[in-house]
Amino acid sequence: MKPFEYKFSDKLDEILHILSQSGTDAKILAGGTDLLIELRRKPKVYPGVIVDISFVNELKGIFEDNNHITIKPLSTHTKIFKSDIIRKKAYLLSEATSQIGSLQIRNRGTVGGNIMNAAACADTVPPLIALNAEITLRSQNSVRSFKLNDFFIKPYKTKANPDEVLTEIKINCLPKDAKSTFIKLGRRNALSISRLSVAAVLQQDEDGKIIDARIVPGAAFPTWQRVVEAEQMLIGEKPGIELFRAAGAKVSEVMISYTGRRWSTEYKEPVIAALVRRALERCSI
Amino acid sequence: MEQDKYKIIGKPEKRVDVLGKVTGKAKFADDYNVKHQLYGKVLRAKYPHARILKIDTSKAKNLPGVEAVLTADDIPGSKVFGIVVQNQSILAFDKVRYLGDGLAIVAAKTKEIAEEALELIEVEYEVLPVVTDPEEAIMPDAPKIHGDNNIFVHHKVRKGDIEKGFQEADYIIERKFKTQFIEHSYLEPEAILAEPAEHGGVRIIGSVQNLFSSRRSVAAALNLPLNKVQIIQSTLGGSFGGKDEVMTAMCCRAALLAIKTGKPVKMVNTREESMLESYKRHPYTMYYKWGIKSDGSITAMEIKIYADGGAYASMSPYVTWRSVVQATGPYYCENVKTDVITVYTNNNYTGAMRGFGSPQVNFAIESMIDIIAEKVGKDPLEIRLQNGFEKGAITATGQKLEHNVSLKEVLLKAAKEIDFQNKWREYKSQSDAPIKRGIGIACSYRGVSLGAEGTDAAGTIVSVQTDGSVIVSSGITDMGQGAQTQMCQIAAEVLGITMDRIVFLNTNTSRVPDSGPTVASRGTIMGGYAAKRAAETVRSTLMSVASEMTGYDVEVLDLKDNYLIDKDSGERLASFSELAAQCFKKGRPMFGFGWYKSPPTSWHEENGYGNAYFTFVYGTNIAEVEVDTETGKVNVINFVSAHDLGRAINKQTVLGQFYGGVAMGLGYGLLEEFEIEDGIPKQLNFDEYLLPTAKDIPNIKAIIVENEDAAGPFGAKSIGEPTNEIAAPAIINAIYNATGKRIYELPANLERVLLGHKLTRKGERGSVQKEKEELIIESCKIK
Amino acid sequence: MKKVNEIMNKVKIKTTINNRSYKLDVLPNQTLLNFLREELGLTGTKCGCEIGECGACTVLINGEAVNSCLVLVPQINGKEVLTVEGLSDGEQLHPLQKSFIEHGAVHCGFCTPGLLMTAKSLLDENPDPTEEEIRNAIAGNLCRCTGYIQVVEAVKNAAGEY
Ligand SMILES: Cc1cc2nc3c(=O)[nH]c(=O)nc-3n(C[C@H](O)[C@H](O)[C@H](O)COP(=O)(O)OP(=O)(O)OC[C@H]3O[C@@H](n4cnc5c(N)ncnc54)[C@H](O)[C@@H]3O)c2cc1C
Ligand code: FES
Ligand code: FES
Repeated sequence: MKPFEYKFSDKLDEILHILSQSGTDAKILAGGTDLLIELRRKPKVYPGVIVDISFVNELKGIFEDNNHITIKPLSTHTKIFKSDIIRKKAYLLSEATSQIGSLQIRNRGTVGGNIMNAAACADTVPPLIALNAEITLRSQNSVRSFKLNDFFIKPYKTKANPDEVLTEIKINCLPKDAKSTFIKLGRRNALSISRLSVAAVLQQDEDGKIIDARIVPGAAFPTWQRVVEAEQMLIGEKPGIELFRAAGAKVSEVMISYTGRRWSTEYKEPVIAALVRRALERCSI
Repeated sequence: MEQDKYKIIGKPEKRVDVLGKVTGKAKFADDYNVKHQLYGKVLRAKYPHARILKIDTSKAKNLPGVEAVLTADDIPGSKVFGIVVQNQSILAFDKVRYLGDGLAIVAAKTKEIAEEALELIEVEYEVLPVVTDPEEAIMPDAPKIHGDNNIFVHHKVRKGDIEKGFQEADYIIERKFKTQFIEHSYLEPEAILAEPAEHGGVRIIGSVQNLFSSRRSVAAALNLPLNKVQIIQSTLGGSFGGKDEVMTAMCCRAALLAIKTGKPVKMVNTREESMLESYKRHPYTMYYKWGIKSDGSITAMEIKIYADGGAYASMSPYVTWRSVVQATGPYYCENVKTDVITVYTNNNYTGAMRGFGSPQVNFAIESMIDIIAEKVGKDPLEIRLQNGFEKGAITATGQKLEHNVSLKEVLLKAAKEIDFQNKWREYKSQSDAPIKRGIGIACSYRGVSLGAEGTDAAGTIVSVQTDGSVIVSSGITDMGQGAQTQMCQIAAEVLGITMDRIVFLNTNTSRVPDSGPTVASRGTIMGGYAAKRAAETVRSTLMSVASEMTGYDVEVLDLKDNYLIDKDSGERLASFSELAAQCFKKGRPMFGFGWYKSPPTSWHEENGYGNAYFTFVYGTNIAEVEVDTETGKVNVINFVSAHDLGRAINKQTVLGQFYGGVAMGLGYGLLEEFEIEDGIPKQLNFDEYLLPTAKDIPNIKAIIVENEDAAGPFGAKSIGEPTNEIAAPAIINAIYNATGKRIYELPANLERVLLGHKLTRKGERGSVQKEKEELIIESCKIK
Repeated sequence: MKKVNEIMNKVKIKTTINNRSYKLDVLPNQTLLNFLREELGLTGTKCGCEIGECGACTVLINGEAVNSCLVLVPQINGKEVLTVEGLSDGEQLHPLQKSFIEHGAVHCGFCTPGLLMTAKSLLDENPDPTEEEIRNAIAGNLCRCTGYIQVVEAVKNAAGEY
């Protein structure tokens, strides 16, 4: 690793201050599972300052209040998937975090790092978007909030400034009768990045009619989003294999309308449709 | 019965080196450090094929902390090495031939300085056209890698009359198969420490597999006699055939730097450097054309194989020779014509890897036999039982199999264990659910040891100490497979002592005789036999001393459980330690040296026949899979592996070889692929080169079949490779059983299973490149 | 660009490694893996990939299994680190070490230290894991030799001794 200046503090204020002084070549360090790999590659633009936020306790924890869950960014994947709150009220996020990398990576990698790194295969992002997540960024002089689905520009690029720290992720609890799932397709059964993934939520009324549907594919679109066209096909309908198949096909169609036909489309087109159908099936039993 | 025949043989004795390995005390190559050591780094090629016009090292030399920057010009002796063909450069001087070629080496005070110095070396190249496909490389106008012909090996097998064979056939079936480059993926990357020695030579310790061939090359490069180059093997973190030439190059480079600077030099590859430079398992393109009768018997096999040898010859001549010998599988056929052609390309060179030329052909053979079974309406087990070798069979190379040919025994045992035929039938006609099950079988026969490929002899030393403890050392090395332990067990069995009395000394070229390479599953049979002979020498001395000591006849004495005993009464007459002490007192040698040379083999290169191996092993693997037909994901859910290995010297290490072999074969079948595009490798670390994890390997039922073979110590043959070589075809056949779609190219990854071909991004973004159409010809002959 | 060489600061940290406490002045631009191996001579922890894939470098930080190649040294400030060298109690082997020996779970041994540490973190938290839980836990430890089967057996059996 090339040399850099290392700064740390266990207080958010001080971190923000350090960042405000550091200029654009500062990099925030959380769990390090993305950043250390990047540093080892000796990128052309090498950070001059590493600002370690991993000691800041204010940035840790998962809290519930009033139908909302606040996830602090330093929550590791392990902490999230072990959290009772998440399991009960945001099940798909629990499922997603349990499938990330390996035990060692889950113990270290944080949800904040996963979001801020903004890789197309980031596994917490589709569930978070399905949960209508809102995030808060703070710098020395500003506080900004984003809807998570508005936050990404393209893979590895977000709307955050270098001196901003992601301080909070807020999601809506899923209604008691909603069902959710996250399906990840990788090349092997562990230590696998998502070739494709789907986050889905379904809620039915007493008659079995679908009253809420959310579908967010991962590693499929240039940036993540709910596929409203497919979701709307479901609202007011009763679950059924043909309906779900049609919704899957719609997701494929929308995907291609964004990406065009590319080298990988031949594979992704049928597979994303199948994964969406499966996810919806899982949410309706 | 059997159980009591031996005390130590066949028991799950723990590995002799295990304690250090669980406490962190075992010393692997990178764990050796000495004061004032320098760090060596290698500048590698910028292009896969280019002429070197000029290398300017002056700036690098001037960097503070740099102690030496060397190029091929600084090599006093031979600039090239090679086990068969001497054409691999230690440091490239005329051309670079693949991206892993080294051009210059640096020794500096720290790794960082060494790396910085590499960036300061200026190389002028004349870029040459690149050839990466073996079938293109044989074209007359293809760029030439060495000399004027890219073909450097052409092995043949000829038997009967191939034309006549096809005339007799009712059907002719032709298929094309392809396999990929495979990275050995030993978990420990290459590393060594080279120190200048007192006598003007060098002492090297490191992760070297074939110490003696590496030593020869270092000596030749430095103009030193062999006795001044000492190479000691550190605990090896896996090798699987892979720590040979790549280590030879590293040894030569570090030795050069050490001699030049007069200081110890440490060299360690990062995983990326390792994957970039190291050799791989050969990719094969295989054309199989079989003539069959409508009853399923095989009348003709015409096989043509192109092997990608990459930039250097390495072990290719040996590896592809095994392929030519075994290319027909263990099946009767009167008329055979096989050609294996190995060519140079600008890819990573290819060499020895577990299986040694068999995994590729077994994929083709075991696919073909399933294809013909379907053609004639038989099931995969029936067709194998119908065509498979029995005792007395004549192989494709004209060799009569005189030993116990247990092919049918392993087939039937494996099939019974998992209820193969019923499952196969059931899965063939399953409902339309997206997740489908399938079961597949594959079997093989495999020649043991080097065969007619080369001289085959090895030595082991057993030395009893005055206190009755014992040191065993051998020219056969341990790469993690447990060869040491097996040699110690054999010595313990012969000497009637317990394993805790024995220490195995890591192999050191200056202390044990050159025993050739530990490849081709030679470990047990060669090292083991030599250990047996060495121990027997010591034993006979001990027994004669015992007789003098007790006044008993040698015949009534025995050594058992660390005691000298009276055979009849079982009475303990003296402890082994007392006996050893007595032996010393009497001035008798307590040192035994055993040498074993394998039984004769023969080969006629021109006419392509001979008694290729002195004995063979037989095995069957069966895989049960679940195929997700909507994503192409395959999960292996069940596995049975039955192998006749002669005798299991150590049940536990044998089981380990079953499991590890199957796991590696699973990677070959489903996940692993080292892709090289226009000479540029795409996977350089384990994020992209995908090894199976604990969640990808099913439980494996191992069936050990023991038909003692006269050729091996206590009847033992080998196991490390057979389990590995037929795992992939069993899986591929299982996928076919599940989906009705056959995979002709490995690995069966998501895209191939779903779409029937792989997707590659090539050239411009967005363009789609499909693999060339598969060759599938089936003709029904009209007679 | 600034020349960072000149401004790189050493960082003062307090930490406990294998139950020994240390006060150290460390260069921040090194991984815990390198630090353990090169500065402290604790070479039992192995380096196989440096990118978090192989698990050979696994150590415990405050009882949790992590890849030491993905931790910067100053990040262990105030934490407890345990490596394979700290696993046995003097001469007394840890139940996992014994079980690994007994079940033939060690072949070449390069992955073994990492596997032992991961397995320890699993058993400390879940003394009676199912096979699936074991496989899940050790999936981040690649082993090229064993096919994992004997490793899984070893962990299962060590659990009995917990
Ligand atoms: C072997 C391996 C397997 C993996 N498998 C998966 C997987 O299956 N799925 C998956 O999604 N990911 C995977 N990852 C990627 C990675 O582990 C995750 O993205 C992880 O969540 C990153 O978190 P971190 O805390 O380690 O990030 P860091 O590396 O610390 O940081 C990542 C980036 O985010 C920035 N950052 C971090 N926290 C903040 C903050 N609070 N405010 C502002 N900026 C911040 C950093 O500056 C940096 O640019 C894997 C990585 C490895 C090495
Ligand atoms: S060296 Fe850290 S995971 Fe491989
Ligand atoms: S024992 Fe060799 S890598 Fe696991």
